[in-house]
Amino acid sequence: MSRRAIAQFIFALTVALVPLADALSAESRILHIGNAGEPETLDPHRYNLRLEETLLNDLFMGLTTFDAQGRLVPGAARSWGTSDDGLTWTFHLRDDLSWSDGQPLTADDFVYAFRRLQDPATAASLAYFMYMLDNAPDVNAGRAPLTALGVSSDGPHTLILKLSRPYPYLLERLLYPTAFPVPRHAIEEHGDLWIKPENWVSNGAYVLADWQPQAHVHLRANPHFHTEVAISEVQYHPVVNEQGGYNRFRNGELHAIGSFPVGELDHVREQYPDELRMSDLLSMMYLVFNTSAPPFDDVRIREALSRAIDQRVLTDKVLRSGNKPAFSFAPALIDSYNAVELAHASEPFPDRIERARSLMQEAGYGADKPLNITLRHVAGLEGKKVNLAIAGMWKQIGVNTQLHQADLRNHFADLRQGNFEVAWAGWVGENNAEHYLTLLQSDIGNVNYGRFALNEYDRLIDQAQSEASLEKRNQLLNAAESVVVHHHAVVPLYTTAVRRLVSSDIEGWYENPRDMHQVRYLSWGR
Amino acid sequence: MNPQLPHLKSSTILPIAAGTLCLVILLAVIGPAFSEWGAEDMDWNAMETPPSLQHWFGTDVVGRDLFVRTMHGARVSLTVALIAISVAVLIGVPWGLVAGYMGGRTDQLMMRIVDGLYALPVVLIVILLVVLFGRNQYLLFAALGALFWLDLARIVRGQTLQVRQSAFIEAARGLGASIPYILAKHVLPNILGPTLVYVTLAIPGIILAESFISFLGLGIQEPDTSWGVLVADGVQTLETSPWLILFPGIFLAVTVWSCNTLGDRLRDRLDRRHQV
Amino acid sequence: MTRYLLKRLTFSLITLFAVITVVFFLLRIAPGGPFDGERQLPPEIEANLKAAYNLDEPLYRQFALYLGRLVTGDLGPSFRQKDFDVNELVSRGLPVSTALGISALLLAVLAGMAVGTLAGLHPGKPLDVWLMSLSNLNLAIPTIVAGPVLILIFAVFLRWVPAGGSGTFTHFVLPVIALALPYVAAVARLIRGGIVSAGSEPHVTTARAKGLSPGRIVGFHMLPTASIPLISFLGPAAAGLLTGSVVVEQIFDLPGIGRYFVQGALARDYTLVMGVVVVYSTAILLFNFLADVAYGLVDPRIRAL
Repeated sequence: MSRRAIAQFIFALTVALVPLADALSAESRILHIGNAGEPETLDPHRYNLRLEETLLNDLFMGLTTFDAQGRLVPGAARSWGTSDDGLTWTFHLRDDLSWSDGQPLTADDFVYAFRRLQDPATAASLAYFMYMLDNAPDVNAGRAPLTALGVSSDGPHTLILKLSRPYPYLLERLLYPTAFPVPRHAIEEHGDLWIKPENWVSNGAYVLADWQPQAHVHLRANPHFHTEVAISEVQYHPVVNEQGGYNRFRNGELHAIGSFPVGELDHVREQYPDELRMSDLLSMMYLVFNTSAPPFDDVRIREALSRAIDQRVLTDKVLRSGNKPAFSFAPALIDSYNAVELAHASEPFPDRIERARSLMQEAGYGADKPLNITLRHVAGLEGKKVNLAIAGMWKQIGVNTQLHQADLRNHFADLRQGNFEVAWAGWVGENNAEHYLTLLQSDIGNVNYGRFALNEYDRLIDQAQSEASLEKRNQLLNAAESVVVHHHAVVPLYTTAVRRLVSSDIEGWYENPRDMHQVRYLSWGR
Repeated sequence: MNPQLPHLKSSTILPIAAGTLCLVILLAVIGPAFSEWGAEDMDWNAMETPPSLQHWFGTDVVGRDLFVRTMHGARVSLTVALIAISVAVLIGVPWGLVAGYMGGRTDQLMMRIVDGLYALPVVLIVILLVVLFGRNQYLLFAALGALFWLDLARIVRGQTLQVRQSAFIEAARGLGASIPYILAKHVLPNILGPTLVYVTLAIPGIILAESFISFLGLGIQEPDTSWGVLVADGVQTLETSPWLILFPGIFLAVTVWSCNTLGDRLRDRLDRRHQV
Repeated sequence: MTRYLLKRLTFSLITLFAVITVVFFLLRIAPGGPFDGERQLPPEIEANLKAAYNLDEPLYRQFALYLGRLVTGDLGPSFRQKDFDVNELVSRGLPVSTALGISALLLAVLAGMAVGTLAGLHPGKPLDVWLMSLSNLNLAIPTIVAGPVLILIFAVFLRWVPAGGSGTFTHFVLPVIALALPYVAAVARLIRGGIVSAGSEPHVTTARAKGLSPGRIVGFHMLPTASIPLISFLGPAAAGLLTGSVVVEQIFDLPGIGRYFVQGALARDYTLVMGVVVVYSTAILLFNFLADVAYGLVDPRIRAL
């Protein structure tokens, strides 16, 4: 072979290999996402945290699911219907469903999954998410057999859910991993070890390839998913501190992060205008009073403290990160519901303070007898800023505030035990007012942290819950909410703003009020 | 010649270190009086602003004056250090005294306990305690004190052993003096020096340990503050508001440096006296 | 010698048992349980969870169960990391922490020796003054400040190394430096003192008189003598490095067991915290035991026992 021929061969080889190399690198290019922390489990029935939902939405698909904009769309079910009394729901499954190992996925798999969730042996902490199913609480407590649960199949493609009382938000509740199918064949073969990567089977766009605790969870595209995905490899990294995640984003190590330090916002706006993704999260941050003990059983004190808080100062001067001030307990973002605002929301601030002072005096507190309060909050910069500022505002009406911070878990443990005076709390709920307002029902249990109890309120909520019509339901909820506003059980503060940074290498990322982003909708851009 | 640190004449550096320390303490005590701001006052119009005539060290994330807070933090940090070291002295000195004086099985048992505790990840246990039982200032003092008494017990025991074998103790015992009397009259004065040195060197350790615990969010509670809390908070805004880490950081570093230097010098002097 | 070592070994085991007992009961008497999530648990479900983890048994039975498993090397399931047992977690985290700790110790000893020797050879000279002042300053800067500053300079601005996470060798560069810094200063001080006093020792003077090169004198005659105090320093230093690694792993998002400890303690993951404490204590006790062995070999008085 002449030298020229060799050169030509090498050239040809290079030309051939370059696209191949390109393809390879595109193939093996990994999307790195910063997640809010380390998942505790990837078993959809044992999960607890929002940061696990993120991953589970990539790994599994329920009857309903989200589109790229976070809207509810058909998932494993292609259509559904409900009976007139709202108690029976029929779901028609897609006929091309299969598990990631190629096994067909049928309605019986869903029946198995719904039963497994309620099985006492599963010990699912969120089993109550599906308590609207007929007999669910009894099955979960072991008082009734699994077969008594209100779920059945009619052939491989039809699933029937029976409820004990109307629940118009069922389609939305089915978005949660508690309603995801799980692979019966894999669980029966491997037991508790089915969640290990080597045994893993799921029905979502991705499967679990590897999990290095505290380092990353690696997902790979599921070849048996009904559509193709553009990004085939994803790694979720637990990012515990915001500064660390922000540094890794700037250094090109992470493509997307969930938040960055509040103080960096102005800098980010300048430096990363295309990468910055701000959106309002469907949520409520609020202060809760322990109404079961003095002095907070006195509505005058609660009103005075509520009036002295200027929500706009909190969001615009203290937080300065795009949070929206809130004046109602049910977030203003909720669809087809008009939230009831605090009566003093529109009064000028000096008048509010004036009235607050006189209320304090009426209740027997003044310069000679100041009110001393301990305000509890979750550790972290946001909690610290907000609650310090509130303490400063209360000082104006002669209230001395001591702060007590604790990490998230211990904070809410204290709240549930009623071990607090006033506390900062938050709720990321569904797109309906009920999910918020029921938090103040006297018999809801210990999520009613302040032990607020009012017969009138309970009656209105109960009436709403037996109502199948959404419109009537909302009217009753509205009436209930005005009772809350009148009694100042809580002080709404603001709706959280999500501050994400998403690399401009990625296309198909849309902000949405649930802040849910399935990787299958994303692709590599330029 | 003293081999430890001969590079600067001890006569010049000792007053510098001691003077700096006194200045820090003085500032901590009277400093806040010079400012119109209180430690908890918020300036709603000056959130996270850099140093200015109005706020000499700038303001923190909720508009509180950093100068006043740094001074306030100095009080807390130094108080924490003093209380913690007192705890250490109150446990460590008697422990070492008794062990060293009694000797034999008692000594062995007592020092075995010290050895055992040495082998523990003590800071981890402090973290565990604070996490489990909440942020309690007394718990923090006690835990930090418990960190430092072990060294002290060893030092005091060593000194006591030496003193015990000397002729005058034998004589005192021969004359029928009681054990507590001998310990108080003859042994205690001899261990004062080394104890003082150790205390001076341990204070920086306590201040740093407190910053470590504050970094994990387990230290002093707001609106109270300490250098550890200020530094741990300041690190979070390193880029946007560097003054929040700079000022408390300088105070912390200078104090730690002064104590270390002071301790070194005192030890040198003590060693020399012993050699003479 | 054998009797001495046996005694030390027995003592180490007693200590370990005491630690396990104390931590076990501390965790159980603390307020709040491992299943206090953000959402409320109905009583039936809480009962199911507790039964699954033996938490419904009497305390002494739980302790016996735990010890029984521990003897066979089983650290139990993790309460929080439900998909892993503690053995899996520790076996993944321990190599990271060990690599971090040993590299930092090596760096501290090597850099400290270099700085200490340089300073000790020129006592009182400007080089000495500068080096030692720098070390002293170093001792006054907390790791929680040094770490973020290193990240800012070398990762965010210069982009030489990653800002956090794990996976490659480069991920370890900054954490190792941050962890080693205070110990570099401590080692330098020790070595410097040794070098200065070794300078006037007879065998060094003899070596000089024989006309050996300065390099040989330092390497073969001065450093070995000056390094003896290091042995007794290494025990506490190892314990200190372990503790320091907790914060360093936190700052640099390194998946070591120190991070598990903090996360586990905050989440009341009883078994994970216990597992980390057991591993840490065993490591420290082992290290101290080895130091004892080394001492026994060096010190004839102990060898005679």
